[in-house]
Amino acid sequence: MNYVIIGAGVAGIEAAKSIRGQDSFGEIVMISADLHVHSRCMLHKFISGERDEMGLDFTEKDFFDKYRVHWKKGVRVIRIDPDKKEVFLEDGQAVSYDKLLLAGGADSFIPPVGELRKASNVFGLRNLSDAQAIVKEAETAQNVLVIGSGLVGLDAAYGLLELGKKLTVVEMADRILPVQLDARAARAYQDRFENAGVRFVLERKASQAVCEPDGRIHKVILDNGEEIPCDLIIVAAGVRSSLGCLEGSGIACERGVTVDPSMKTSRKDVFAAGDITALSGIWPNAADQGRVAGKSMCGLTAEYTDTYAMKNTMNFFGLVTLCVGRIREEEGDQVLVREDMRQYKKILLKNGKVEGILFQGDIAGGGIWQYLIKNKIDVSGIDKDVFDINYGDFYHVGDRGKYEWVV
Amino acid sequence: MKRIIVEYEKCDGCKNCSAACMQAHRKTQGTIYDLDLTDPENESRNFILKDAKGQYKPLFCRHCDDPECVKSCMSGALFKDPDSGHVFYDENRCGSCFMCVMNCPFGVLKPDTVTKTKVIKCDFCVNAGGEPSCVASCPKKAIHVEEV
Repeated sequence: MNYVIIGAGVAGIEAAKSIRGQDSFGEIVMISADLHVHSRCMLHKFISGERDEMGLDFTEKDFFDKYRVHWKKGVRVIRIDPDKKEVFLEDGQAVSYDKLLLAGGADSFIPPVGELRKASNVFGLRNLSDAQAIVKEAETAQNVLVIGSGLVGLDAAYGLLELGKKLTVVEMADRILPVQLDARAARAYQDRFENAGVRFVLERKASQAVCEPDGRIHKVILDNGEEIPCDLIIVAAGVRSSLGCLEGSGIACERGVTVDPSMKTSRKDVFAAGDITALSGIWPNAADQGRVAGKSMCGLTAEYTDTYAMKNTMNFFGLVTLCVGRIREEEGDQVLVREDMRQYKKILLKNGKVEGILFQGDIAGGGIWQYLIKNKIDVSGIDKDVFDINYGDFYHVGDRGKYEWVV
Repeated sequence: MKRIIVEYEKCDGCKNCSAACMQAHRKTQGTIYDLDLTDPENESRNFILKDAKGQYKPLFCRHCDDPECVKSCMSGALFKDPDSGHVFYDENRCGSCFMCVMNCPFGVLKPDTVTKTKVIKCDFCVNAGGEPSCVASCPKKAIHVEEV
């Protein structure tokens, strides 16, 4: 059997491990534009200089030898033909497959504002190649503008602070990290970033950005007319699944590649996993999809079932936050808050069920909340302050000493 | 693999296991008699929980068969050792994202209290020959090691 995996992110890597676990003899070929296997969650550590390329590798030592994966790196796939079962590469090669996995991830979305898409000093932060380009540009750039204050935008700012850059972050919402945090929790991070020298411009959008004759944008004008001078612009306005090479392949796509729970696409023997499916943007889910796809490709029955994706952690300046479920308050919510000098915790409770939690400062043992929220467990019968609920309230030691949930 | 088996009915909440864990992982030299229990750098990897009825429920890392912490680790710091079956943690590789804390369904994991750069995680006392200190210290024999 000849397995071809497009993409060397976590979905592709986990799929390869999963395939090798089932099929000792099959040939596994991995094709990636990336030259290094790297964790995208750690790109800020590369920008700051804390880690080099090798330090971003999340795989075990000698991964490609150990799992006997033939890796074609630094080459893009330009077209796929599911009828002939062939993948065409930009260097003119054609690679044939018996089973194909699309795990090419996503690309930074650069909004069509002014000439952002054209300028040579505008970058997303998605791939190691982006981080490398940012570091190179930062050798001469002093003023950096970050558009968007989500996790990627703040990661970029966090890394660049270490390089001593003057940073401005523009955000459309009235607070930073608007998807993950409430105003209070966002403020705690904003204060820390501001103390480190970052300037935030909230409730504003970039509206004009003109390339100068040198092909670069030297200032961005906001929707209130304010001019922000900049040598380097990082756009953190979300990602879009990388569907470019699927054109004409007949593989059904919406926002991402359409898959069934076994990660099969609409075309025979073609599977997809990770950000290319647009099912979830977070690491553990992409990894899970990769494992499921790998098994499915080997003909086993496997399903991607733990689809819950409304969960995040973050850690800036040693302040950690865990948020799971719904953060925005709704009518009928019971809003519980616990705070002291080291922590701010909020729980949204509705009809006896926890719908969302936001823990900042202290997230110890916080894993149980994801279980409670995604499984919609009624906690009203537990005679305790909700914040003090722990696994002890659902405790069972099962077969071979494994813990199980009893609800 | 070896796992610490918990018989919670026998636990009387003395926390000898927690003290032994702190002692086993302290950075400074010394014995249990001079272990500084108030130093936040001395952290236990096990916890004695209490349910709503006041019953003690010991929480010890299961080194799960299908470990959610490993599956959510974006740096490769957490890995299941194929030989022993235990889940080990390499703090040099850790990216301090704490997705492992988020994903452990039993709430065993936590960031270190002082620096928030490391995960506090049971290592089965591998540096002490793989005989967990907590087990040796339990006066009620509420925990024991079993090949599972």
